[in-house]
Amino acid sequence: MADTVMFLLSGLLIGAAFGFALQRGRFCINSAFREVLFQDYTMLRAYMLAVVVTMVGANLIESLGMLQPVADASGGTTAGELYRQAFVPWANVIGGYIFGMGIVLAGGCGSGILYRVGEGSLAYVFAVFGFFFGIVITKFGFLKPIYEWMIAPERVIWLGEDTVPTLDNVIGVNKWIVIAVVSIVLLYFVYQGRPFKKAKKGYAWHLVGILAGIIAVAAFWASDYYGGRARGLSFTGPVREFFLAVLMGNSQAASTDKTLTLLGVTFSWSSLYVLAVPIGGFLSAKLLQEFKLKVSPPDEMLKVLLGGFLMGIGAQTGGGCNIGHSLTGVSTLAVSSWVANIFIILGNWTMVYFLLIRPMRDMEV
Amino acid sequence: MSLKDEAPTQTLDTLGRVCPYPLLLTKKALEKMSSGQMLKVLCDAPASAEDSIPRFAEKGGFGFESVKLADKWELYIKKA
Repeated sequence: MADTVMFLLSGLLIGAAFGFALQRGRFCINSAFREVLFQDYTMLRAYMLAVVVTMVGANLIESLGMLQPVADASGGTTAGELYRQAFVPWANVIGGYIFGMGIVLAGGCGSGILYRVGEGSLAYVFAVFGFFFGIVITKFGFLKPIYEWMIAPERVIWLGEDTVPTLDNVIGVNKWIVIAVVSIVLLYFVYQGRPFKKAKKGYAWHLVGILAGIIAVAAFWASDYYGGRARGLSFTGPVREFFLAVLMGNSQAASTDKTLTLLGVTFSWSSLYVLAVPIGGFLSAKLLQEFKLKVSPPDEMLKVLLGGFLMGIGAQTGGGCNIGHSLTGVSTLAVSSWVANIFIILGNWTMVYFLLIRPMRDMEV
Repeated sequence: MSLKDEAPTQTLDTLGRVCPYPLLLTKKALEKMSSGQMLKVLCDAPASAEDSIPRFAEKGGFGFESVKLADKWELYIKKA
C-alpha cells in the first residue's frame, strides 16, 4: 500500500513541480533555440544552466552509487547506471530535425505544450493530441516500417561490442573531465547574462534554469527508485504511455519498468508525471491570475495541430523530445542525444526561417 | 503622465495567439510606426506579456508599461 502511494505521489509531485516551475519561469526550450536567431540569449542561458545542474547532479547520483543495483548474468549485482540511449544515427538525425521543425509550428516544446494546456490555451490541447498521434503512427502505424528500418540492429552504432557511445568513452577519458569542461564552457556563457534580473512576476531566468535542473535530477533518482529504470525526465515515451494507459488500459512500457494497476488500468511511473505537468502549470497560472481559457484563430489551431503531429513523428523516430534529449539525454553524455540535440536546433532554425523570418521580411516589401 | 494615459496611435490585438506571434506582431507593428508614437498591445499569452515583449521593449530602449487585467494584459510601448 505504502509502495503504491509513493509510486503515485512521487510521479505526480515531480510532474507538478516541473509544470509549476516552467510556467513561473516562462521556460521554453523552443524559444531558447529560436531566439538565438534574434540575438536574445536569455532563455538559452536558462537552458544551459539547467543542463549543467542536471549533468552534474545525475552523474553524481550515479557515481555515488545512489541508483538501484541491477542483477547481472553471474547472479550478483552491479551498480545501477543512468539510462543512456543507443546511437542510431539515421533516427537521431532525421527524427531530431523533424522534431525541431515541429516545435516551431506548435509554438511550444514537449514540456511547453503540456504546461500551457494548464494555462488554459486550447491550441496546446490540439498540440498534445497531435503529438500523441505522431508518436503512435510512427511506433505502431503507417510510418512503422520506416521507423523500424532506421532503428534496426544493423544500424545501431556501438562502441566495441555493446557499449553505448558517450562523449567520455569515445574520447577515452573519465566522464568527470568531460562534465567539467562542458560545465565551464556553458557556465561562462551563462555568466555573460548578468545581471540576473528578476521578471516582474514569476521567476527570473536563472532561477527556473536551476529549478528545472534540480527537478530533472530528482526525476532520474525517482524514475530509478520507483519506476525501475533511471530514464530521467522525458516526454515522448511517457506521453505515449499515459495515453495508451487511458485509452487502451495499459501503458505498454518497457519490461524493466515498474507499473501500477489502478481500477484495471496499468500505468508506468513516467506516465504519471505527464498527467501532473498541466496540473502544476494550472496551479501556477491560477495563483498568478493568468489562467484563462482561450482559443487561437482557426488557421493557427491547424498549424499547431500539424506541429504537434510533426513533433510526435520526430520524437518517436529520434528517440526523444527536447527534454528527453536536450536536457536529460545530453546530461548522460550519450552521443545519440548530443547528435539529436544538434539536429533539433537545426530543424528549429530551418522552420523559424520559413515560418517567421521570411514571411515577416516579405511583408515589409 | 504615465504611458497608459496617452492615446495610443495603434492598438494591436494578439488575444489567443500562441508563442511567438504576440512578440513578432508587436515587432512588426513597431517597425511601421515612427518615433514617439505609441502602440497598445492586447495579449493573453503569459510568456509573451510578462517575459519576451518587455525584454524586447527594454532592449530597444522603448518606453514600456504593462497593465494586468483579469483576463489579459494591456501593454503600452512607446517607440523611441
